[in-house]
Amino acid sequence: MLLANRGFVNDAHSAASGKGMPGVRVLGTSIACESTVAEDIKSGIDKVFEEIIAGLTRPLTEEEKSPRVDFETQTRIAFKGTYEEVNQFFYRKGWGDGLPIVPPSEAAIEEMMKGTDLPADHVVVKIIPRMGKATIEKIAINAVMAGALPTHMPVLIAAVEAVSDPKTRFDTFEVSTGSWAPLLVINGPIRKDIHINCSSGALSPGDLANAAIGRALGLIIKNIGGARKGIEDMGTLGNPAKYALVVGENEEESPWEPLHVECGYEKDSNTLTVLFPNRYTQTIPAQTNAEGIATALAGMRPGALSCMLVIPDHAKIFSREGWSKKKVKEFIMQSSESRDSRRFGQLQNEDFIIVVSGGPGVWMGLLQSAGGFGNYFVTKKIKLPSNWEALTAKYSTMVPTYVRY
Amino acid sequence: MLRFISILAIAVFISMVTFSCSQKTSVKDGSEYQYEVLSPWAEVDAIPLRGISPRLDSLSGKKIGLFANFKRAARPIQAEVERRLKERFPDIETSLFDSRLPNVTETETVNKEKFTAWAKEMDAVIAAVGD
Repeated sequence: MLLANRGFVNDAHSAASGKGMPGVRVLGTSIACESTVAEDIKSGIDKVFEEIIAGLTRPLTEEEKSPRVDFETQTRIAFKGTYEEVNQFFYRKGWGDGLPIVPPSEAAIEEMMKGTDLPADHVVVKIIPRMGKATIEKIAINAVMAGALPTHMPVLIAAVEAVSDPKTRFDTFEVSTGSWAPLLVINGPIRKDIHINCSSGALSPGDLANAAIGRALGLIIKNIGGARKGIEDMGTLGNPAKYALVVGENEEESPWEPLHVECGYEKDSNTLTVLFPNRYTQTIPAQTNAEGIATALAGMRPGALSCMLVIPDHAKIFSREGWSKKKVKEFIMQSSESRDSRRFGQLQNEDFIIVVSGGPGVWMGLLQSAGGFGNYFVTKKIKLPSNWEALTAKYSTMVPTYVRY
Repeated sequence: MLRFISILAIAVFISMVTFSCSQKTSVKDGSEYQYEVLSPWAEVDAIPLRGISPRLDSLSGKKIGLFANFKRAARPIQAEVERRLKERFPDIETSLFDSRLPNVTETETVNKEKFTAWAKEMDAVIAAVGD
């Protein structure tokens, strides 16, 4: 039998069912999560001690001996109705993210799947915890719901591969109380092809590619992976970045080699790198020379694993003063303020990445994840379909044009 | 009579225009458009279901496994469970399996054999996850 904080009982039952043992007896306790208070633990066990004994001695019910789970029959067509009815149906089914969705009609999905040469029934991966089959069609359905374009499909397929790579420890970050959100860093020419914002407000709403790719990934994690908030995804406070956290490297404005080249890819390759931060901080340097900027970066105290966002103007100052990206990283690692990385002690080169992104200004950013779980940055190549040129031409005008006022 | 027919014709015309406009409005705003939509919920391979192990008649004289996951509250919780069990059943034997790998299924780690051998020796197991 299992003892868990009473807020985790549903999560425990879901996990047990996922392993084929829905009958596992789970006992909810009043002990605070990760409690360090001996009296609370003593009192919590005291309250349930008789139930612990009963859990080990009370004879099994027929259901516990031979469990049956009545899964809802899956049909390909989920519903027929108006836009409003479809949205209400999807929301009630728990398939949404709180915002209206684009109805995933057959025609819309067919168009979405033009973004890949893979067949509709191709299983890219099975996504934990439910081990749902991430077929091309299911990815496309969730992409349509998020408002994504067919040109976003290659990124989404690579994103699904990347987050599911065991090296990310997605099994922890996806459902953790820490509310970690997937960050996708996009590199290569595809950024321009699909209008990923790498400049001013790169992390703000307003750009279809950044927003829809991030949103689609969130829906995929929920609807294909089966990580539902408060049941499997036990993020305590939650994280608005779970709506979308997609950024491109501003390669054109950077004097340094971009992230994917650092990782061994050709410059004209398209890649995405995944990380699961749960906090985003920004600061400004006291001095705008190279050492001043590096000091401010170090002052944000990056730990394993993290992504530091350096704006193009600062990267150019570094370059002008002879600071390579490697030298900046070494400065940060040697800085006394960065030495108490929670899990690794001294910050290591592989613990953090520097990405040049953003527009004019003076601010710099830190997206902080966690390390020590046997987790690493994972970079995947984005594979383009054979019709890429025609597809991107078709959607080339999908950019906002703001009026002057 | 001619006047009546004229009025009737005008009335019919107005009603046709009104009906036509209302039809156009409902199509234009999409409120009546019917979508046939596909399910975003993924299919899974069926997992064979298993019942849980038979329960014990009594804990007296039994060997009880105490599994603690990596979270910091798990071990103190099991220490308290052990204390209470031994207080109630002085002849009980307990054995702690201290899982130090964060968020793993022990049967999928390098500890698989050690964990499996440990579990087989137990008459019953209580797991604590620290959350």
